Amino acid sequence: MWWLLAMVMSDAGMVMNANSDTLPRGCDAISRDYEFSIEGGRAHAAGHPGLIFGLSQHELRVEPCSRLTVSFSNLDQVRHQWMVHGLPKYLYPGGMFHIEANGGATMTGTFIVPGDDRTYLLHCDMAQHMEKGMKGQLVVGRGSGDLWSVKGQSDAFVRDDYLPATVPGWSLFMVFLGAALVFTASRLRRR
Amino acid sequence: MFSRKWWVASILLILVAWPPQWYPYSVRVQLSKWLGASSYRGFPASRNGTSEQAEPFCIEEHEDWGDAQEIEGVAIEEAVTCSADNPYAIAAFVRGTNNVSHHTLMRSGLTRDAVTKGRDLDGDGDPDEIHIRLEVAELNGSSAESREPVTQYAIAPGVKPGLWVFAPKLAGMARENFESVWARNALRLPSPVIRVEQGDRVTITLENTHYMPHTLHLHGADHGFVDASGEGNDGVPLTSEKPVMPGMARSYELTPRHAGTMFYHCHVQPHVHVMMGLQGMFVIEENRPDNWVQTMNVGGGQVRVRSAAIREAYDREYDLHYLDLDKQLGERIQQHRDPRLITQSMHRDYDVTDATQDFFTLNGRSFPYTFRESLVVVDAGERVKLRVVNGGAKGIALHTHGHKFTVTHADGNAVPTAARFARDVLWLATSQRAELDLVTENDGLNAYSPGVWLFHDHQNKGITTDGIGPGGNISAIVYADYMDADKWPRTQGVSFQPYFKEAYYRKEIPVWESYAPGLFAEPGADNWLLLRVLALALGVGMLGGLVSGRFGRRRR
Repeated sequence: MWWLLAMVMSDAGMVMNANSDTLPRGCDAISRDYEFSIEGGRAHAAGHPGLIFGLSQHELRVEPCSRLTVSFSNLDQVRHQWMVHGLPKYLYPGGMFHIEANGGATMTGTFIVPGDDRTYLLHCDMAQHMEKGMKGQLVVGRGSGDLWSVKGQSDAFVRDDYLPATVPGWSLFMVFLGAALVFTASRLRRR
Repeated sequence: MFSRKWWVASILLILVAWPPQWYPYSVRVQLSKWLGASSYRGFPASRNGTSEQAEPFCIEEHEDWGDAQEIEGVAIEEAVTCSADNPYAIAAFVRGTNNVSHHTLMRSGLTRDAVTKGRDLDGDGDPDEIHIRLEVAELNGSSAESREPVTQYAIAPGVKPGLWVFAPKLAGMARENFESVWARNALRLPSPVIRVEQGDRVTITLENTHYMPHTLHLHGADHGFVDASGEGNDGVPLTSEKPVMPGMARSYELTPRHAGTMFYHCHVQPHVHVMMGLQGMFVIEENRPDNWVQTMNVGGGQVRVRSAAIREAYDREYDLHYLDLDKQLGERIQQHRDPRLITQSMHRDYDVTDATQDFFTLNGRSFPYTFRESLVVVDAGERVKLRVVNGGAKGIALHTHGHKFTVTHADGNAVPTAARFARDVLWLATSQRAELDLVTENDGLNAYSPGVWLFHDHQNKGITTDGIGPGGNISAIVYADYMDADKWPRTQGVSFQPYFKEAYYRKEIPVWESYAPGLFAEPGADNWLLLRVLALALGVGMLGGLVSGRFGRRRR
């Protein structure tokens, strides 16, 4: 049940599974402290055709066993989230760290990443927000390869075609052109 | 010489392979005269049915949600159907999300500002300042990650049309959890019923969480064309205001002077947006002292905290929202990912004047899922209030088995007593509302006897799901004595098993297979005929080759 997760809730939003002192297994100490100020909203999709929402930073690179304090500022007038998935479940119920900020609000939370090299999904889990641009990756150490469909990092796994309506006509023309070329070439050779 | 052999062989093959059942009639008659009847050949055996296991009829994630209970001092009525609404959300909707404990709010799934209730302006013991926040969610939409729809919601087994809905302001993820593809409990069709009291100062803030522009139009509910600050308040982009863009919010204000069952919907490209599901029932309850109304009824259905006026006159109350859907509209959000392509497909390529409806829902589901949550459960000798809205593109001919009901209000306005009469079919055109009195008095007019009595749109399409019946908006009036302990009506008819298989609505299961196996099953193929047809095709091909070869030689 998600409401059993450790949660801090306020009028501005909530932080779920904050952890500033329990070390993940395999970490002897906090390797480094990072502070990130991340903005989310329409403004960060501006200039990116086909996207509606965005983040100020779609990729975060950190050292293993480091502690991240993330201030997530929502530039829009609706809810947004900054969530990391795939964290160890013994430490983060549901495997996630989750910041949710109401429109115009900033919420801050801290968590500690595990010690192995891995790339974690970070996104906004409101319906269609990840699909329309709010997807990023948290690369711990050397990471485990880029995720698909991260703005500025990797291509969309399923892409729209973006072909003009005239493409069947032109394709047919090219088929005939190819046939004509081969036919002409063979005639010329016979001569 | 070689060539002649081939000619003979191919013609002979055609003649021999030609199935006798395809001979011209006169040839068959003549052959029968000469040779008599052919020897016996049995018909192909029936094929085995699908191996798909039926879903459980009743999925109860929270066994105690349906119990009669008191939360935050709110007495919540029992719901005996298998999918009951979240009682913590109900309590928060009644008290206001700003007035309940952290514990209740957490369990409600709502944000602190989802439905806030303020001062009691008329001093009659209930709050009159109501602030409601609505978000917009896409269900069964597309993704750049996979070809499967995301934030899934099924109206019937395996049926997942693309949908847009208004939703209460929920805290947290859109899905049940990170491993799940399914939308969380309160993200669903239909958009929630909104319930306020006559004279309340209501503010509804549309927080547009969707990637397209939307507005809120309060159809039939008393509201000014502009609000107190002179801003547009009708939700109509043509006349009153510009649409609310993605990520933006706008507040609408109303102080309704007139009670009744009304309607709300998006008014941006309404021929598309309203039909995608951006529509809900809007109820204005009569003003009474100490009248704490359930501001939202998620998913429609039973009203578990009834208003004072309804408690005075009725034993139970149900909200019934009918909506039909065009499969070819909903799938457009699944075919593209780029919002520019989606909007082109929906608003220019899609031609609503050529549209036909394929899915027919009651409170966001089609049969058999309607039996999980939209049954009208009654007891004998009761007076039950049904509020009905038809949000679909076509009318509905609402019919009740075993009962005649009386229309007390049409479009939120009382029908004069002298004009009221008991009837069993009611025509509701697009966006019309009716309030019905269902009296379960076994007198041969109001009711014929206790039992499990269907109610549905009596037009033929409405009782199907994309042409497969039983489906569509079929539900039932069920007497409490007929509700079993497993929260399923005690029927005396055929098993519901086939209807809980996705294959049934993919049109892969013979409709009577379950109770007449073999008799009306899928017949196997006639392999002997198949062999002959293939041989015939081979012969025709050989002949064709020979003919073209002759032509080729001649030209040389």
